[in-house]
Amino acid sequence: MVSKESCRNEIRAAIRQLSDRCLYSAAKWAGEQLVGIEQDPSNFTPSNTRFQRGSSSIRRRFSTISTPQPSAGFSQPPATPLPQEEDEVIDGDLYLLAKSYFDCREYRRASHVLRDQMSNKSLFLRCYALYLAGEKRKEEEMIELEGPLGKSDAINRELVSLERELSALKRTGAIDSFGLYLYGVVLKEKGNETLARASLVESVNSYPWNWSAWSELQSLCTSIEILNSLNLNSHWMKEFFLGSAYQELRMHSESLAKYEYLQGIFSFSNYIQAQTAKAQYSLREFDQVEIMFEDLLRNDPYRVEDMDLYSNVLYAKEACAALSYLAHKVFLTDKYRPESCCIVGNYYSLKGQHEKAVMYFRRALKLNKKYLSAWTLMGHEYVEMKNTSAAVDAYRRAVDVNPCDYRAWYGLGQAYEMMGMPFYALHYFRKSIFFLPNDSRLWIAMAKCYQSEQLHMLEEAIKCYKRAVNCGDTEGIALNQLAKLHQKLGRNEEAAFYFEKDLERMDAEGLEGPNMFEALVFLATHLKTNKKFDEAEVYCTRLLDYSGPEKEKAKSLLRGIRMAQTDFPSMDMEHFPL
Amino acid sequence: MAGLTRTAGAFAVTPHKISVCVLLQIYAPSAQMSLPFPFSSVSQHNRLGLYLLSLTKACDGMYEMKLEELINQLREVGDDVDAWLTENLTNRFSYLSSPDDLLNFFTDMRGILGSLDSGAVQDDQIVLDPNSILGMFVRRCILAFNLLSFEGVCHLFSSIEAYCREAHSSFAQYDASNSNLESLTQYNQMDKTTKLHKNASGNVPFHLHTPEALFKVTEGLLVTRTEKSSTRKFAEATSVASASSSKVEDTRVDESLFLRTNLQIQGFLMEKADAIETHGSSFSSSSIERFLEQLQNLAPELHRVHFLRYLNKLHSDDYFAALDNLLRYFDYSAGTEGFDLVPPSTGCSMHGRYEIGLLCLGMMHFRFGHPNLALEVLTEAVRVSQQLSNDTCLAYTLAAMSNLLSEMGIASTTSVLGASYSSVTSTASSLSVQQRVYILLKESLRRADTLKLKRLVASNHLAMAKFELMNVQRPLLSFGPKASMRHKTCPISVCKEIRLGAHLISDFSSESSKMTIDGSLSSVWLKDLQKPWSQPVYSRESSYRNNSTFFKFFVHLVSIPGSVSQIIGASYLLRATSWELYGSAPMARMNTLVYATLFGDSSSSSDAELAYLKLIQHLALHKGYKDAFAALTIAEEKFLTVSKSKIMLLKLQLVHEHALHRSNFVKSTSGNLKLAQRMCNELGGLASTTMGVDMELKVEASLREARTLLAAKQYSQAANTAHSLFCTCHKFNLQIEKASVLLLLAEIHKKSGNAVMGLPYALASISFCQSFNLDLLKASATLTLAELWLGLGSNHSKRALGLLHGAFPMILGHGGLELRARAYIFEANCYLSDPSFSVSTDSDTVLDSLRQASDELQALEYHELSAEALYLMAMVYDKLGWLEEREEAAALFKKHITALENPQDVEPNIA
Repeated sequence: MVSKESCRNEIRAAIRQLSDRCLYSAAKWAGEQLVGIEQDPSNFTPSNTRFQRGSSSIRRRFSTISTPQPSAGFSQPPATPLPQEEDEVIDGDLYLLAKSYFDCREYRRASHVLRDQMSNKSLFLRCYALYLAGEKRKEEEMIELEGPLGKSDAINRELVSLERELSALKRTGAIDSFGLYLYGVVLKEKGNETLARASLVESVNSYPWNWSAWSELQSLCTSIEILNSLNLNSHWMKEFFLGSAYQELRMHSESLAKYEYLQGIFSFSNYIQAQTAKAQYSLREFDQVEIMFEDLLRNDPYRVEDMDLYSNVLYAKEACAALSYLAHKVFLTDKYRPESCCIVGNYYSLKGQHEKAVMYFRRALKLNKKYLSAWTLMGHEYVEMKNTSAAVDAYRRAVDVNPCDYRAWYGLGQAYEMMGMPFYALHYFRKSIFFLPNDSRLWIAMAKCYQSEQLHMLEEAIKCYKRAVNCGDTEGIALNQLAKLHQKLGRNEEAAFYFEKDLERMDAEGLEGPNMFEALVFLATHLKTNKKFDEAEVYCTRLLDYSGPEKEKAKSLLRGIRMAQTDFPSMDMEHFPL
Repeated sequence: MAGLTRTAGAFAVTPHKISVCVLLQIYAPSAQMSLPFPFSSVSQHNRLGLYLLSLTKACDGMYEMKLEELINQLREVGDDVDAWLTENLTNRFSYLSSPDDLLNFFTDMRGILGSLDSGAVQDDQIVLDPNSILGMFVRRCILAFNLLSFEGVCHLFSSIEAYCREAHSSFAQYDASNSNLESLTQYNQMDKTTKLHKNASGNVPFHLHTPEALFKVTEGLLVTRTEKSSTRKFAEATSVASASSSKVEDTRVDESLFLRTNLQIQGFLMEKADAIETHGSSFSSSSIERFLEQLQNLAPELHRVHFLRYLNKLHSDDYFAALDNLLRYFDYSAGTEGFDLVPPSTGCSMHGRYEIGLLCLGMMHFRFGHPNLALEVLTEAVRVSQQLSNDTCLAYTLAAMSNLLSEMGIASTTSVLGASYSSVTSTASSLSVQQRVYILLKESLRRADTLKLKRLVASNHLAMAKFELMNVQRPLLSFGPKASMRHKTCPISVCKEIRLGAHLISDFSSESSKMTIDGSLSSVWLKDLQKPWSQPVYSRESSYRNNSTFFKFFVHLVSIPGSVSQIIGASYLLRATSWELYGSAPMARMNTLVYATLFGDSSSSSDAELAYLKLIQHLALHKGYKDAFAALTIAEEKFLTVSKSKIMLLKLQLVHEHALHRSNFVKSTSGNLKLAQRMCNELGGLASTTMGVDMELKVEASLREARTLLAAKQYSQAANTAHSLFCTCHKFNLQIEKASVLLLLAEIHKKSGNAVMGLPYALASISFCQSFNLDLLKASATLTLAELWLGLGSNHSKRALGLLHGAFPMILGHGGLELRARAYIFEANCYLSDPSFSVSTDSDTVLDSLRQASDELQALEYHELSAEALYLMAMVYDKLGWLEEREEAAALFKKHITALENPQDVEPNIA
């Protein structure tokens, strides 16, 4: 295990280097992790620790699993020592000026100041400033050039020259790891993914503390094969990378394991907590996620990142008040973040005001066209508003942003089912199940499609319901439907089997209702016809506890059973007359 | 962000449109004069107008022209005012030095439009009618400009700079000596010098500047459409490439790539779609993919791109990509895109038209060989179109469904058309598949008729003809004893349906979209500009070029939509098929030839392939294998790239036949038989494994297997195969195939020496042939029947001869070489075995037949039968005492026998 102290030292140096190169978000991330390391209480005053964490009791509750302590874990690899700061004196003045221009977001000025500087650091800052200038212009042009057909060819005009320069530098070897990172980003923008990946891998291997490089690399790992093929030096930063990459590849338990391990060092990292919450959300552990987010907000009340996820949880739990509170809070913090808009949209959706919800989702999309969950949620709103073609359009856009979004596939299926095209819808359901094969809801939706009167493919429906039961159907639809379908198909034995199971489930959960009556009536009748009178009587007596027509039915059944029991010998008499 | 904003008529001001506006200003200056300044004649003036009109309508590409191309074309149009035109044009651009000039320019543009009420127009004033196409164009330009934000104007301004600079630089490239040209005015100077140069060198026009144009002139008009488009594509690609390389120079993106108007793009895409369908997978799918990608980048909201991608993938047999793109297209567009072309039908609601998506999906499944899926989807399509009362879609769906049912072997015993069958056919749930097909066709025809869907009507008629050809019509519901039953197909109604189908040619125009025809005419007009115009097209060209020039030009002018000519072509193919079945070889051949000559190029490649296939089969039957193989190599070159090529199938068939004919009947292990067996297996391997798919192929394969077994003298196995084949045919209702299987069974029994067993099969085959009017097959069955009778003993020879003579006219008139030879030999056999026949008195009767037979067998290399004929000949000569002839025949006999015993160089033609 890496010692906390060495981590701390590494990060401290890295933050300085990163912010010196104006890689602010990487520096921010590193800073968060730095504070996330548990401080040595003996070295610090109590006020210092209090600042760090006030109420970690709840967190402890959820991190009880002892983190694995690999003895042969990664030690600080000698290959990646902290790079020494170089030639600060030589280009110091101009560099300082450029950096302040950069900090004022005057990128072109910054790069101009550094035009003749040859040191690695100024070279990087010059290129980076140029790149950002191009990006800024690109964003503007995207709005300006937006034609009626959505022409989207606004590109960063600096890419070509940057690529030329960086590739020349790379050929001569006069490029440091930050330059490699920028080169990777440029290549990625230009669509050359393989080279971009190679360049980024080289960058993170020589300088692992640049989280931006890792996240660029992660966005290029679209499949587990690609991920496994990367040749990465081992370093604790790699674990962070793997955790987030696994999460993107929907390998939630693997990613959870990574984060649990990391929590051994960074036990107070908000980042890790949020990521864990994300993974838990995907595993549908809503209660746990809610507590984690509450905790997170308490420590970091002005956080907006990931809060849309929290709002989804609150939405699922139908916690109107909490949701409105959250919405209010993030709106005060930063109104023009897609996450904030999304949270408000969720709130209105929960309140049933779908037009307003759509408006906020649209605003979120204006801010970020590729904001996946807003597309999907907007699709849901349109479905609620019965505007199916708009819903289909929105879902399709979500799917085209990320083809692995099972919610959007599911939404597409649902929309088509609403339009009375169950067979067409099946394809979409199949797609969504492909990405999330262990979710009973998807299986049930598909089964319902097969069961629809247009298709009436009951055998297939039964198969789907069985899968749903195997996936642990929480809502108990599948068992009931299976029983009914078998009953419909005249397979009474199977029907009885599933009714019994369903009854067990309802008993265990303490539920009652028409399904219960139905199961009881069927079982009683079925057992009676099979001459298992005792068992039939048990079910009948259970029915007697309830009022209503079922009670009458039970009474008549009981009467029948008595009759049959008493008639039994007499029937014998008839068959065998003396 | 569609779904949020859907603006249909995308129209943006671009440098090219400004060029057109400038030209329009020249064409219709607001000044008052009958003929504006530079023009010397009215026709010259009109020519410019015509040119401008074409520019706004042509749909032969997706990008707008570059200034350089425009100037080149202007030269062709302008005759002697071209210099003035180009100078004016470029000057106008050089005056645009600030965004404000643009504003003024568009304010001026307003002046050339007449007032809307058009009351006060003086006689000699040229004004643009605001409602004319050009007037609308100007109005749209002005409107679009007025809608621009200041940033938009700035972008327009900088792209105009790029537009001019590019033209400038590309001209600078041509003339290295003038490489220091800097301004556009100087460029004009150069222009003039080149013009002088042109005048000096007489006839050599400006093609020096455009190698592509030069290419077209030298290659003349023989260049086919595909080649043209591919060169165009190539040119585009190179232009893109050069643009990107220049981008490296000054790190600028190429701004001059603007899309044409939405209307033109849609027209272009339609043409491309036609091309994909016509040429199938021989069309390079990756090149299409490339331009679709570019297009999608430039216009992400143009969803038809997805549809084209679907078509492309469909034709290159990529199931998953095709499915994905189809669904994506309908998800995005709700089936309503292109609504600015087609007025929204009455049934179009806010729900979109997803039923069309279902229809397409069904047809896709059909094409990929998933009949059950296809049927489910189409059923859903019927239901949804009924719900949304989209009658057009319903008619098409019903037609597709009937097509599916008739093409795919649906076993009569299975109930694929399960409980969920739609109400249209619910009355028919107890009916056989054939009857359902009939009902569906009738329904579709009726709807298409009322909706005036001419093409659907035509293809339904053809489908009906096919149905009539293959099926005996029975009254639908009354099967009682009183219902009069015709047990025959009705060739007259087949003929009638085919004719009704071909009626289309007279009045297709009412339905087909006018826009595409206009657009393609305009593009043709523009293309023709590339040819020297100054000389009259016909007189001069035809002097040293062949007549096809005229023909080509004529074709352009008529401009029948591809789909129409495809249907008419299909009707000829169907005629050929029906004649083939009815047994008239010359008629079949003639119709196929008509198809191949008239429609071979314009229709789909799979149809053209079918025509070639028929012709080659005809050759093999009537001229022998040598010719057939020669023709096959030609066809192979032509259709090599077509997916699911039938040529491969044909090759296997031919090799199989050939091997069977050359095989040794004594030694069943001979190489030829093995080869035949291999061909059989390969043939069977071509078919899909799915039940009910590729039935024709499967039947063919097992038929051939039985024949191979028969040739190997494994009679019982052959009979078994034939029996199971008969069962399959029965199960899948393949009536015509049943007749030939029965005949094969009779043959098997005949060869195995069990003539009594063979008789009922032969008779059954004949009765099948009668009810389906298969005259040639019937003649062949009659021959077998006669052979069987003779096999019962020589006392039946009279009866056999009688039967043979009854079938003789048909056999000799239409039969292939083998059949005729067999008939001749059999006739001789009959005479010889007739005890009352004496060779010495009537030798000519026998000898004539035998000579005929051996002549015809020569081409077939059918050694066994030849040997038999020669043997008989030698015997007859021997009887007659003509020793010399006898020896000759005997020697030939020996040759054939040795050839049979030593099958050397078995497969010269097999790869």
